[in-house]
Amino acid sequence: MIKVESLKKSFGDLEVLKEISVEIKPQEVVVVIGPSGSGKSTFLRCLNLLESITGGKVMIKDQDLTAKGTNINQVRTNVGMVFQQFNLFPHKTVLQNIMLSPMKVRKWQRKQAEEKGLELLRKVGLYEKAHVYPDSLSGGQKQRVAIARALAMEPEIMLFDEPTSALDPEMVGEVLEVMKDLAKEGMTMVVVTHEMGFAKEVGDRVLFMDGGYIVEENAPIALFENPQQERTKAFLSKVL
Amino acid sequence: MGVFSIEIVREYLPFFLKGAMVTVGASLAGILIGSILGLFMGIGRISKSWWIRYPFIWYINAFRGTPLFVQILLIHFGLIPLMMESVNPLVSLIVTLSLNATAYIAEIFRAGIQSIDRGQMEAARSLGMTHVQAMRHVILPQAFKRMIPPLGNEFIVLLKDSSLGAIIAAPELMYWGRAAQGQYYRVWEPYLTVAIIYLILTLSLTYLLNYIERRLDTA
Repeated sequence: MIKVESLKKSFGDLEVLKEISVEIKPQEVVVVIGPSGSGKSTFLRCLNLLESITGGKVMIKDQDLTAKGTNINQVRTNVGMVFQQFNLFPHKTVLQNIMLSPMKVRKWQRKQAEEKGLELLRKVGLYEKAHVYPDSLSGGQKQRVAIARALAMEPEIMLFDEPTSALDPEMVGEVLEVMKDLAKEGMTMVVVTHEMGFAKEVGDRVLFMDGGYIVEENAPIALFENPQQERTKAFLSKVL
Repeated sequence: MGVFSIEIVREYLPFFLKGAMVTVGASLAGILIGSILGLFMGIGRISKSWWIRYPFIWYINAFRGTPLFVQILLIHFGLIPLMMESVNPLVSLIVTLSLNATAYIAEIFRAGIQSIDRGQMEAARSLGMTHVQAMRHVILPQAFKRMIPPLGNEFIVLLKDSSLGAIIAAPELMYWGRAAQGQYYRVWEPYLTVAIIYLILTLSLTYLLNYIERRLDTA
């Protein structure tokens, strides 16, 4: 589903991703952990080319993102993304947030987009909030709307960039619940998070990143209980 | 100087009012044309391609860095005669106000666009929107709301600056003020009346803009 080969990314002189290669299978849930500055968010953002890449290759469903003929907007419709800061559109209602892209990008009729939007709001438990503005929602509600908005494009892959890091602790659960449901339905997911419980429960595989490399990867239980690398041990001893 | 002669004011009032209409019309034309051109220039001004960016930056530098007075003279006596056979001072005034406003409004648009959190653009792009779609449906509607106060400010400045049209005999408000002054060699009657009319215009505009701002704030 996703294939990353020798991915490199620099910001000016700063080399953030040094050499990343990884392959993610359909329906797999991959959790990326690591200290801040390790490049995990940058890695995620390279998967839909929100960051331009400096070297190497990213393939989504055998489509090379940086190849000449690739329509990146087309690829992105198949790769949903959820941000730490939600990034809902404040000038649109919850439902309009969700309908905008299907109507403008997929050229759906209003009715179809509205039905899809309401269906998704029901799914994330916010049906009754359809016509309010994001301003009046709590953080957890905002993030669930953001997930619904990404799902409206019917993507096969979902990227989560620290989706619960900006939330009050009591709201983390409701967002993780929605993500768990998605995982159960077979969504291919790449999740950058500090929620080790989520990684253990839902993750098929955990990647530990540090200093621009994937230092270690394994099944969650194996990685958490029996880390092989010193850096992984040091990190886990601080967060577990 | 003698006493304030209301007779002079009364005689010239129809001309002052006609001039005020021209002032409002020319400023309105300037702000409208300036907004349209300024939008493109403001977006071009932050383009990633230097060959788009630089001409716009220099246009803005030139028009913000030289006096409007000089611009009016250059355009009326230099540029317009090169392009048109008959020279109309009102046309020259509107052209100058438009070109001048474009530079300032471009900066207002640029600042408005750049004040929107970049997460908004990223969210829109991540949903598959093109850069243009994201601008049109996500960035600009939010930026526009923030641009109303500085745009209103620019409108007021433009309205007052249109008085420089008097120097090329564009028949706006100040032109008639000078005409009255020239006929009677009086200072207070024409210039004070003209000043009060300008004040009424700008205060009305301020009031209108505050109203629009409040309306948009609650939306």
